[in-house]
Amino acid sequence: MKKSFVISLLMIFAASMLLSACGSSSEKTITFWTPLTGDDGAYMDEIVKEYNATNPDIKVKHVITSDMYTKLSTVLNSGKGVPDLAIIHADRVPGFAKQGVLEPIESAIKGQPEIKEANYLPQAWSTGNIDGTQYTVPLDIHSNVMYYNKDLLKKYNAESILDDNVVTIDEMLSLKGKLASDEYVVNDALLGWVILAQVQDLGGDIQENGKPAVNTPVMKQAFENVKKIADAGLMTPFGEDGYLMFQSGKVLFSTDGTWSSTAHAKVDGLNFGVTNVYSPTADKFTNRASSHLFTMFKNDKRSDEKEAGIGAFLEFVREHSLEWAKAGQIVASKQVNESPEYKQFMQSFFTSNEQETKSLYIYTYEYYPYVAEAVDTYCADIVRGNVDLDETLQTMQKFVEDKIAESSSKQATK
Amino acid sequence: MPDRKRQAHYFSKRRNYKAMNKKLFAPFFFVGPHLILFLIFILIPTIYGIYASFTQWNLMNDPVWIGLANYKTILFDSSSTFHTQFFNGLKNTLLFVVISVPLLIVIPLLVAVALEHKKVKLKGVIQSIIYIPGLISISAAALIWLLIFNKQLGITGNVFHSQVAWAATQPYAWIIIFVITVWGGVGGNMIIYRASIAGVSKELYEAAEIDGAGSVRRFFSITLPSINFPLIYTFVMTTAGAFNVFGQPLMMTDGGPRQSTHVLMMYIRQLAFGQGESIAGMASAMAVLLGLVILVISALQYYVMNRNTR
Repeated sequence: MKKSFVISLLMIFAASMLLSACGSSSEKTITFWTPLTGDDGAYMDEIVKEYNATNPDIKVKHVITSDMYTKLSTVLNSGKGVPDLAIIHADRVPGFAKQGVLEPIESAIKGQPEIKEANYLPQAWSTGNIDGTQYTVPLDIHSNVMYYNKDLLKKYNAESILDDNVVTIDEMLSLKGKLASDEYVVNDALLGWVILAQVQDLGGDIQENGKPAVNTPVMKQAFENVKKIADAGLMTPFGEDGYLMFQSGKVLFSTDGTWSSTAHAKVDGLNFGVTNVYSPTADKFTNRASSHLFTMFKNDKRSDEKEAGIGAFLEFVREHSLEWAKAGQIVASKQVNESPEYKQFMQSFFTSNEQETKSLYIYTYEYYPYVAEAVDTYCADIVRGNVDLDETLQTMQKFVEDKIAESSSKQATK
Repeated sequence: MPDRKRQAHYFSKRRNYKAMNKKLFAPFFFVGPHLILFLIFILIPTIYGIYASFTQWNLMNDPVWIGLANYKTILFDSSSTFHTQFFNGLKNTLLFVVISVPLLIVIPLLVAVALEHKKVKLKGVIQSIIYIPGLISISAAALIWLLIFNKQLGITGNVFHSQVAWAATQPYAWIIIFVITVWGGVGGNMIIYRASIAGVSKELYEAAEIDGAGSVRRFFSITLPSINFPLIYTFVMTTAGAFNVFGQPLMMTDGGPRQSTHVLMMYIRQLAFGQGESIAGMASAMAVLLGLVILVISALQYYVMNRNTR
């Protein structure tokens, strides 16, 4: 009995060692976590594979981590198994930086003179800069954009709408009564992002002196403008899959993401192009965007050698991320997005001139994620007139304020 | 020889002691693995979860003790978003429990009894067909069901000419949640009922038949009383499971329309693992409250049913 007790103890010990070994990484590999599931992950795998084929001193091991942010909080809390390198979204940077869990990227890129702001899309670079410290190097900008069905535009003689690259809400409303009964002007894909773009178009913002500003005249105006389209019966019906309806050729415009172009391209007979998200005014247009950013979480065990290895990998990505364009994303590296090969990709439209590049807007407000959550939760019901606008804006404002109060007050005073 | 006697006595005592030892430790080797897993994956996290509910915590920094503040906000601060979320979530969860639990008890029971009939053929095949949906991941199943209920592409729109966007209109949003729940949940309970019905002595049925009892009478007088323990078990477990509903509304309706199918577990998850900084303390408090509700209701069910069946 004693023997078996000892044996079982040993087995438990061995099992726990094995399990904990999964988390640790060797000195000769850079553990690289990304939240890139699906096709995106496969494209990133390809980039990592190409890099490892150059026989670098330290190879990169790409670990696709679904639910990455939850896992990150676990490993950061325990301090064990922290990845050497990770990709995070732009709106996470201020929060992580405030919590003090990010390592300035400078230590990794100091040996790489070409990794600097001038070589990347400016807003993608600056979104990783908090109070003068650079925490990230950008991989891409992925944005809300508007696809259009070329055949339908031709059918309704509406191609002139696209002349100035700004599709205004009035131009869309002018199509009222002209469409067949099962066809629509625009769908409601990524509606929350569309609303947040309208806020910029109207000259507003989601914060005022660091306080969330959701219940504002500008936000109200943004909702009312978009609601006009729905009220006129031009938006795909509530609860229906507007994305699929665009693919089946029943919708003129679809406001989804840059990354959808690859899926649209696979649809037989869908003749489509891409332009900017609609705007309330002809003077300005905004495409609400986010960015995938390379960053290092604080980890005492990461050696200088490894950090240099990370720098080398980031430089490789800067030069060779054309592969990433295949995922439909707007590559942040200027060397890539200004190359002739990049022009074959549809999303090159958004870096084709300065005005376009500027239209890619990344919110950097510390509590943006809460504001976005509030907008996403309530936008569909507001635009469809299911709820009272003023009342709901108040609810949304309170929603964001309550979350901010819970998340930070006591943590910050620690 | 007293010495030898003492020796013999000593040895027999030692043997006894050894045997006793064996008896003492043997059970622990059988329950040990489960005990360890239970400790690591259930007991310790539960205790930590309860502790977290008394703190303000973003999962990253150390939790800050704030006593009952989370509970106060959730239960009594009617202007708070968390109060509104908790009670809306609880209301929707209760609605789900009240409707889905009877369905998940009665339908499997009827199926199990029907399969007992002598004239039913291919019992194994039918049983498998009913059981398999329970093995399919809820997200994969939801995608298929959403296509079935899709107004443009689905069966409801094209064959039955329904003009409703099911996921966005009440009461249809609830209906599709119940459809997928019943579809996926009938099999598990049915297997339990079938196994327990198979254990009921055939002689009882034969005797009842000779006495002229019809099939309905046989069901209520023999089958039901004979399987009361499996019934209590499934009733309690199905209820506890229904309180933890998450996947179906998340995938089918995403809580809509107007958060009318937004269940408590969805709010809890959003708070702890949603966008932005985690609000894990508040989420834990909601989870503890939900746990208490489940505990009380399960205990009540067990008490009431056990008393009635004795």
